Amino acid sequence: MLKCKINGQDVEVAEGSSIIEAFKATGQDIAHYCWHPGLSVAGVCRLCMVEIEGNPRLQIACNTQVQEGMVINNNSDKIKDAVKWGLDFHLINHPLDCPICAQAGECQLQIQYMKFGQYDPEMAERKVKKRKVVDLGPKIVLDTERCILCSRCVRFTDEVSKTNELGIFNRGDHSEIGTVDDRPLDNPYSVNTVDICPVGALTSREFRFQQRVWYLKNETTVCNGCSTGCSTKVYFNEEGMWRVKPDHNDDVNGYWMCDEGRGTPRFVNKDSRLLSAWNGQKDEGQDLEAGAAAKAVGQTLKKVVAEQGSDKVAFVVTGQYTDQENRAFLSLAKDLGVKVYHWVNNPEKMDEFDGLLIRGDKNPNTYGLKEAMKEVGVGSPWSELESSVSDLEYVVVAGPENHFAYSDLTDKVDLFSKANHQVWFVAGDHDVLRAASNKVSLIPTKTYVEKDGTYKNFEGREQRIRRVMTLVPGALSLTEASKLMSGQELLVDGNVSESYRKTNFFSSNERGYL
Amino acid sequence: MSLVKKPSFKASWYLIGIFKGMGITFSNMIRNLVKKAGNDKISLAMKTYNYPEEKYEYGPRFKGNHVLTVKKDGSIRCTACMLCATNCPAQCIKITAAESDDNTVEKYPISYEIDILRCVFCGYCEEACPVDAIRMGPEWQTAALNGSDFSYDIKHLAYRAQLKGGIVSRVDEEERHKAGI
Repeated sequence: MLKCKINGQDVEVAEGSSIIEAFKATGQDIAHYCWHPGLSVAGVCRLCMVEIEGNPRLQIACNTQVQEGMVINNNSDKIKDAVKWGLDFHLINHPLDCPICAQAGECQLQIQYMKFGQYDPEMAERKVKKRKVVDLGPKIVLDTERCILCSRCVRFTDEVSKTNELGIFNRGDHSEIGTVDDRPLDNPYSVNTVDICPVGALTSREFRFQQRVWYLKNETTVCNGCSTGCSTKVYFNEEGMWRVKPDHNDDVNGYWMCDEGRGTPRFVNKDSRLLSAWNGQKDEGQDLEAGAAAKAVGQTLKKVVAEQGSDKVAFVVTGQYTDQENRAFLSLAKDLGVKVYHWVNNPEKMDEFDGLLIRGDKNPNTYGLKEAMKEVGVGSPWSELESSVSDLEYVVVAGPENHFAYSDLTDKVDLFSKANHQVWFVAGDHDVLRAASNKVSLIPTKTYVEKDGTYKNFEGREQRIRRVMTLVPGALSLTEASKLMSGQELLVDGNVSESYRKTNFFSSNERGYL
Repeated sequence: MSLVKKPSFKASWYLIGIFKGMGITFSNMIRNLVKKAGNDKISLAMKTYNYPEEKYEYGPRFKGNHVLTVKKDGSIRCTACMLCATNCPAQCIKITAAESDDNTVEKYPISYEIDILRCVFCGYCEEACPVDAIRMGPEWQTAALNGSDFSYDIKHLAYRAQLKGGIVSRVDEEERHKAGI
């Protein structure tokens, strides 16, 4: 370990660390555009200037290693002047289109300008005009004028996704980011380049212009897109969830996440959700309160089991629910004495892995479900259900909330239609379910941003998800539904045990930059 | 704690005040009956308007009803940057942005609504606007027949009949580009 002093604060860092890492370790502010902790060092933006005692010239913090006993500061007037002029050079050709820029509000250039700049430009020459609104594939829009050539995105495609699409073309002030012959930038991790872009040069086509970032709140949670379980930040407001970004977690995902995981607002938001319980058959039926529907189902199940035997009812589970929910649901099955079947959505792809993050198992908690089934002592082979389904009175399905990963949903609905009734706990509203030929009960469930619980990822790592917002007020978690089905009441005591839930998100002071 | 004050001795002689006030009222009334307004320049008659036939016109700096300005080609100037909506203390502005097919425009509002009943006419939207897209004009009547008429949309804000085809914004994108900004 090496000792050094940063702005008067003593800090110890590992040998070989750069000064900027030492700054991060102390938690002190330092400007940087090109340096990113997950990428190699480029040293092109020249803004992380520091003054080292005994060194006559200013050095860049990202490419200078810490030596024993170094005394470093970045708050002298000399540094402020250097950063100010560095910023001035960055802004020479930068168009001032913040009003229409999707990055405004979380733009490093804006933040930096408010801190160090606030000058009148001294550039007499005209700005160099470059290409705007370049179509860079299905997910990304490029604006070469706004780019400050930090090369983060280029390094990302070289080092992390290893697809090498992006590069810097031309020379001098005509340099611009681009792909060869404007080929699309389309790899499974491409939207990460938007996240790491310190300015608004790369913007996500999906999120662009949807919301101003300062209207959104964010909260960390765990992605439920696959069994990797990346740490993510969800951005939301009163209307719903707008985007997902990766959160730093060295043990799971580092600084990145896949593009598919960013699509969770598609099935979380209200317009795709089942808003109330529904009882019916072939598109004709009536809406019910979710809690009352769950209670009624519980009573009928008990009756059927008592009168016709427990082999007339089957429970189907998926790896989409939290540990707590699984245990409650499986215990209910055990109490009733019915058989439980595990619905695997894509058995042939379950063990696939692309080497970076994406896994073939598109359930966040398959590991936890298997463990819970073993613990509770239930579980029967799927083939048994397929052969016996036509004799069944009731099939109770804990359905998927991410129905995009369940391409076999229609097939399974057809299969369960052979039984007399099917009961679905499901978050999304699906036409196939309402059109099923037997009697159907649909009960809305909460999605992963509306409940507390734990997921166990592919290697059994326990990760906590938390309630971030409420989108469908009537929806039940599977724990609540199981409680109601077993005849208990939901006790709402109003005591909030988790500290983070005591604050009201929409009245707290944290409102983003600007 | 509230203080209860007994009326002072002076205030108990309220009849004097009433007679003074009535004196002013009646003297004005009699003057208006004798001298008719508008006949001579130095009329002593009180100036009144025959509203609604006659309306008072405020100066251009008056903070009245909002106007969305237009570009030279008549399209809406607003870039949907949401700064007015962010700055609005009454939260009465609602904008939905969309991507334009025109590369030079990029972002524009597909809907811009002002709930005039919530508006406090503070003028912060005008101050926040970077492109002179929203102004507060001299119009001051906000009466309407039903609730939905109080929610002003783009059609009303930019193209209502009183504006005679729209007011042109002072900030022109093309001129700025020519100047090298």
